Amino acid sequence: MRRLRARLGLGLLVAAFTASVYWVFTRSEPVIRHREVTIYFAHWQIERGPPDGINAAIKRYEELNPRVHVVQLQIPGATIYPQWMRSNLAGDTGPDLMEWGAWLPGEKDIPARYFAPLTAELAKPNPYNRGTSQEKIPWQDTFHDKLLAPKRDSPDPGQIYAVNITEVTLRLFCNVELMKEVLGRVVVPRNFDDLRKILAAVKEFSRKTGRPISGLAGSRDTTRAVAEAVFVAPLIGVAQRLDDAGMLYLYNRQMLAAYLAGRWRYREPAVLAGLQLVREATNAMKPGFIQLRRDDAMIEFLRGQALFFFYGTWDATSLRRLAPFKIQPMKLMQAMPDDPEVGRFVVGQGGEGIGETSLSMYLNKASRHPAEALDFLKFLTSVPGNQLFTDASLWLPAVNGVVVPEEIRNFRDYQEGLSVGQAPYDALGTEVSTGWDRNFYHLTGDQGSAEQFAAAMDAAMPAAMRMDLNAEMRATLVLVKPQDPVIAGWAGLAGEKAKTRREEAEASQTMSEGLALQMQLQLAKTKPAP
Amino acid sequence: MRSVRPARIILSLLIWPLLAAGAGAPADLDPAWTALTNSRPQDVLRLLRRDASARAERLAWAAGRIGAQPASDASMREAEAVLAELAPGPDEIAAEAAYLRARIYQMHLSEPDFPKAAQQYAELAARRPQSHWAQLGLVKLGLLKLYLLPDSTDPAADRLAPAEALLPRISEPLLRRDLDLQIGQAGIVLHQPLARYLPHLIAAEQVGGITGTAGEDLIVQIGVLSERGGDWARAREYFERYLANYPTNVRAFTIRQKLEAVNRRLAQEGGA
Repeated sequence: MRRLRARLGLGLLVAAFTASVYWVFTRSEPVIRHREVTIYFAHWQIERGPPDGINAAIKRYEELNPRVHVVQLQIPGATIYPQWMRSNLAGDTGPDLMEWGAWLPGEKDIPARYFAPLTAELAKPNPYNRGTSQEKIPWQDTFHDKLLAPKRDSPDPGQIYAVNITEVTLRLFCNVELMKEVLGRVVVPRNFDDLRKILAAVKEFSRKTGRPISGLAGSRDTTRAVAEAVFVAPLIGVAQRLDDAGMLYLYNRQMLAAYLAGRWRYREPAVLAGLQLVREATNAMKPGFIQLRRDDAMIEFLRGQALFFFYGTWDATSLRRLAPFKIQPMKLMQAMPDDPEVGRFVVGQGGEGIGETSLSMYLNKASRHPAEALDFLKFLTSVPGNQLFTDASLWLPAVNGVVVPEEIRNFRDYQEGLSVGQAPYDALGTEVSTGWDRNFYHLTGDQGSAEQFAAAMDAAMPAAMRMDLNAEMRATLVLVKPQDPVIAGWAGLAGEKAKTRREEAEASQTMSEGLALQMQLQLAKTKPAP
Repeated sequence: MRSVRPARIILSLLIWPLLAAGAGAPADLDPAWTALTNSRPQDVLRLLRRDASARAERLAWAAGRIGAQPASDASMREAEAVLAELAPGPDEIAAEAAYLRARIYQMHLSEPDFPKAAQQYAELAARRPQSHWAQLGLVKLGLLKLYLLPDSTDPAADRLAPAEALLPRISEPLLRRDLDLQIGQAGIVLHQPLARYLPHLIAAEQVGGITGTAGEDLIVQIGVLSERGGDWARAREYFERYLANYPTNVRAFTIRQKLEAVNRRLAQEGGA
């Protein structure tokens, strides 16, 4: 009996061992990794397109670099990504490369705290561009816009922290069949007044036929995009008035300080004119749109219940793959000086810029493999790497020398014109943005008006603008303080490279310190009486 | 070989007093300095001792203490105590220690003491005027004078003047550039007359090497501000430079328009 038990036990042990061996070799991760280094690349671009594009680049990169494995982490944006990013960075478990955007609410301090500047590397040619038109050109200058957004959004005016993968703009995506049904032909609006007439025709068509069709697919997210596009025209003159520094461009900190100093208000005529345009555009959306999200607006458009869907070219691939009708991208033209409603406040043609690159990727300061991570970024933003991304994603390339596929070539047909600044007056900071959303109902619908909305904003904004300017100042100081030990570190090391890096760090720190002190002064000067 | 041996002995004898005085071999501290450059000050505190005999090691420890999180006034006092010991010496370590000590008072305490920081920068500059750290301290002193320290004689005084007075004492071109840039930008924020601050912006730009968006902004600024001041030739020079360097920027459209206007003015005045 005892021997039988022993045999049974041994048999069970052998069976368990065999099952474990089978499991280990067939189901789980390999016991021995084939590649020495794994780097993680995290982003929120889970639309159709970018994951395919990034995978295509990874596949080629891994062929060229057999010791490196690149893992793409697709984290849903909006609510999940910011929390995921901050908790991982704080816990020192963040991926090597991460997407970040200046508009993410409450995340302004992230680059200064957690990302490494790339300025020195960007001054050198990208080795993966060898044999291409971009060979020998400094990496920074190979980008279509020379990295406008990473420079503008840098917490430190002397440093660049990111490189961009793609280029985006906003477009009116038109349901061609529906437009022919409504207007009898395809009409491309040449200015805001043309759009106004088309939207009125859709309303009339819907009334006559009883079909629930809107001019613009509506949602909270797309409304912000529409508002920012149409709001701008009358604000150009205001921006010119406030441009003391002569930069032809206003940073958020300057707009916030100017508001606190009483130099502009939402209720002033030019800003009211801009709000009136926003009201006209949002009145072309279905009731209750403010409760809906981007995906709801897209579904409305794909069901043929809206003539236009206005959003970024980042949605173009999804729309093309999902829509059962032909789509034509058009520009949302701004109001001009001859506009019958607001023309007297418009000083000239507003511009879209000449293409702004986007999908900004940052190098985690705490990366275990910074050299490999940086190398992968160089490949992804080289002519061959970015070509793979573009072809597989059908998103525009960020890099010069990449051939743009025929399907997306007209996305680069930009409207040149005058510019306003870093952000329209709805998104100067987290608090201003929240206040805009909270009060937006005053602007829309039968009960709303530009005047009501402006009054509500001007009541709420002094406190909100102060909080946002204070946040900008604190984010800048976050960058200044840690530079003291960094400068000491470079000073301690020998060699020309260390000397150059010390000089750069000293210059950047002084610039950031100056900015923080400017903001501190502006906050102190405009402090309300207790 | 025989001739090498005495040379080695002599060299060792020469180096020995330095080692005894705690100068230390620079290579020994490279991991600590590198950790500081990688923003990992906590590693420095693990690698080094506060009471090390080498002065450079104590300096690196203090720098690590300043940067390590969580930062508190107590940790800053610890760092300051070490820096205070190092600061009276005759070498660059002493100058750097004095500079970092002033930085603690200016930036790192929960309640900064700006007058004390200013006094320490001034003392360092008086004691070691050509030291890099004294020169850098003068830039920081300039910032304090521009924005934070009250003018002792006249509350309505020109705030740029005290910072401008520091410029001749800064012999390092890059540091002088940085203070010029700060005076120029402060002049705008403080609503000074254009002629007071524009020369500082031009002086900073002419030194070059300003990276990031700051360099780009500065070229636009000098062009636009020169245009506002009626200096059409200078405006044209900077607008042309901007368009050559940043043809795809969102501002290029406006600058092309401005360049056309400036060229018309120059043609009218016969300056084209």
